[in-house]
Amino acid sequence: MSVRGQGPTSGTGVHAAPPADARRRIPLVYLVPGIVGVLFALLVASTTLGSVSIPPWISIAIFFHQATGGLIPARACGGLSAHQCYIWTEIVWQARVPSLLLALAAGAALAISGGSLQGIFRNPLADPFLLGLSSGAALGAAAIFVLNIGPAHQAAELPIAAFLGGIVPGAVIYVAATISRRGPETLILSGVALSTFFSAILSVMLLYNPTSDVSLTFWLLGSLGTTSWTDDGLVTGVVIVLGALLYLQAREINLLQLGPDVAQSLGVRPRRVVQRTVLLTTAITATAVAFTGIIGFVGLIAPHLVRRLAGVDYRVVLPLAALMGGILLLVAWDVAVAAIPPIVVPVGIPTAFIGAPFLIYLLYRRRTPGGSAAPVSG
Amino acid sequence: MSASPTTLRVERLTVRYGGRMALSDVSLEAGPGELIALTGPNGSGKSTLLRAVMGLLVPDAGTIRIEGADVAELTLKERARRIAWAPQEEPVGENVSILEYVRFGRHPHLEPFGVEGPADDAAVERALRRVDFWEGRNRGVQELSGGERQRVRLGRVLAQETPLLMLDEPTAFLDIGHQLEALERVRTIAQSERRCALVALHDLNLAARFADRIVVLSRGRLVATGTPREVLSPELLADVWGIVADLRWDPTTSLPYLLPVLPLDRRAPGGPPGRRWMARVHVVAGGGSGAELIPRLAQEGFEISVGAVHLFDSDAELGQRLGVAMATETPFTPISSRVIEHLEELLEACDAVVVAPVPTGPANLANWTALREWAGRRPMALLPLPSELPWDFTGGAAARLREEILRGGGEEVPTVDRLVAWLRERVPAEALHPRLP
Repeated sequence: MSVRGQGPTSGTGVHAAPPADARRRIPLVYLVPGIVGVLFALLVASTTLGSVSIPPWISIAIFFHQATGGLIPARACGGLSAHQCYIWTEIVWQARVPSLLLALAAGAALAISGGSLQGIFRNPLADPFLLGLSSGAALGAAAIFVLNIGPAHQAAELPIAAFLGGIVPGAVIYVAATISRRGPETLILSGVALSTFFSAILSVMLLYNPTSDVSLTFWLLGSLGTTSWTDDGLVTGVVIVLGALLYLQAREINLLQLGPDVAQSLGVRPRRVVQRTVLLTTAITATAVAFTGIIGFVGLIAPHLVRRLAGVDYRVVLPLAALMGGILLLVAWDVAVAAIPPIVVPVGIPTAFIGAPFLIYLLYRRRTPGGSAAPVSG
Repeated sequence: MSASPTTLRVERLTVRYGGRMALSDVSLEAGPGELIALTGPNGSGKSTLLRAVMGLLVPDAGTIRIEGADVAELTLKERARRIAWAPQEEPVGENVSILEYVRFGRHPHLEPFGVEGPADDAAVERALRRVDFWEGRNRGVQELSGGERQRVRLGRVLAQETPLLMLDEPTAFLDIGHQLEALERVRTIAQSERRCALVALHDLNLAARFADRIVVLSRGRLVATGTPREVLSPELLADVWGIVADLRWDPTTSLPYLLPVLPLDRRAPGGPPGRRWMARVHVVAGGGSGAELIPRLAQEGFEISVGAVHLFDSDAELGQRLGVAMATETPFTPISSRVIEHLEELLEACDAVVVAPVPTGPANLANWTALREWAGRRPMALLPLPSELPWDFTGGAAARLREEILRGGGEEVPTVDRLVAWLRERVPAEALHPRLP
């Protein structure tokens, strides 16, 4: 809601935002188990999808057998040869499930980032992809591949390089949001401009890629297919630790909704919260991008859905958005796997197919001119 | 918290803002239970003072103490537990409920990563009941009307449970009913909870009606402070707001209220910018002949005296409402020598004389006699007589005196517009009197 929109001049005619009735929320006692349930059901169902056709019940049985450490016997393997059972177990447990878990972790990372950025900038369009954080991080990570610095894919250097790449757009959006007195669309447009710029550099890098590795192109469009349990552990760990640090600021992000001055009058240092949040979201986004490539719109959509369902308290929004982001990316991955078998399309493609119309919907829904991206002072 | 009797003590506060002096050398004190109206024209520094006390602007000089503690030495949260501030307008997040919004006020009382406890819930409930939103606490803030939003904002500020409440134009965008309701609520809360309320108000009548004390700022300086009766005067209204106002006393509340009559024309002759110089013009009127003339001259920035007139004459009442100097006589009696002496004093003090087409009878013939003596001593303008109405009820004596005045230096000026130009031309620059800055 814009500052201007509060005046008596804003009117309540056709251009007014739809009334937001706070009572229309779903109580958390239903919402949390609901979201967790959907997430788990999707996870299990997703184990049945893949380029190798394995009967669904067998892949589900293998999943439960492995996930419980063998407590649930893999009855499905009963009619199979030991060799066949071994191969299918490997496919489900070492190829499919790690991808699914990466989808959850990366989805959570992007959604937490998007939610936090939307909160601090009071800008519903904020998203790590739209703000250029993702492409900056991708550029940093790609530099490792292309310039052949060190043994790529192995150490923590990919996320670090991605983080370094994300610092540039991070600094730019911080300055754009804190100094410029322009509307929220300006922030997004400068992000899009940055994003385009980084993509151009990335394209140049790919053209002169000495390894001519096609997987690099694939990775840039969003890929979950080439992951491992180790990578998953790294991403999950980073997301949990940095996400917790972001979560500790959730109450302050709430107060920033009243504008930087009122927030400060209530004991919050607006600039400090914004700085920390931009830094943490850059790091979280960079970690996800380092392992998945550029995946857009998850960070835009997930927090929106959560705010619709649960209200605007960021202490609730951030963790639920993480789960919702996992769900969204899982769905996108299933679509990527199942759309044109046996080809797995880059997962950034289905998210763009959903996300771009959603962005347009958001742009048209918020008709109030001017907008709410007041600069952060103090 | 200390038991100091003053809640807020501002000493010699100076704030530069955007390259200019936004506040200079402002000192004020406020105690518990008091409602102080901070008033002054647009841009006088009301909001700046509130923002400086809140710590949103850093003072260049001076100290701000709250219950004895220097706010410069307090952390943001400590400050937020002592001072609550509501700006004129503030954004509300999308889809925030009233309860959540008021609960934001508890932030300064919470541990860094703590959650609201029973004490906080109780404070929020008290605040919501105070603003009559306990029942509707789950409604969305966005769906509220302007008046309701103002109440919710007050609720957020109350939930902060601070000894000092600062409200910046809490009646902005409210209709008259809601204005009264809002300020009545603030005053009740200040009195019953012994809190100090510092309220920026540009509406002087609301300030006079609700404030225990009024603080007047003008161009960043404190120019007056005291009870509404002490502070509001025609001189202050002219100097600070540049208006001629009809200041009256409300018999039911014994409080002053004002009807703004005219804006003063600040293009008064020869004045350097920022300082007004006024010429004194004496007007001889009566019987309504000054009804157009006197307000016009006041608006043009002349200082006016009137006389001699009879009390309860419509021109005498007009002069009283405008607060001008007057020589007056008891109704239905001839003008006495004592009143003529007073008239002579006024003529002596003025720079020019304007004679309205006064209907003249035996009771006010003495005016003309006195005027004849002054015809050569002051520039004197006579407005034309009405053509269709009789004016001389003295059997020709008044008409003869008028002729003599015209021969002795008086000039007939055909219209009031021409008169203003005539005055600007005739009043010598050295005669202009400096007024208060």
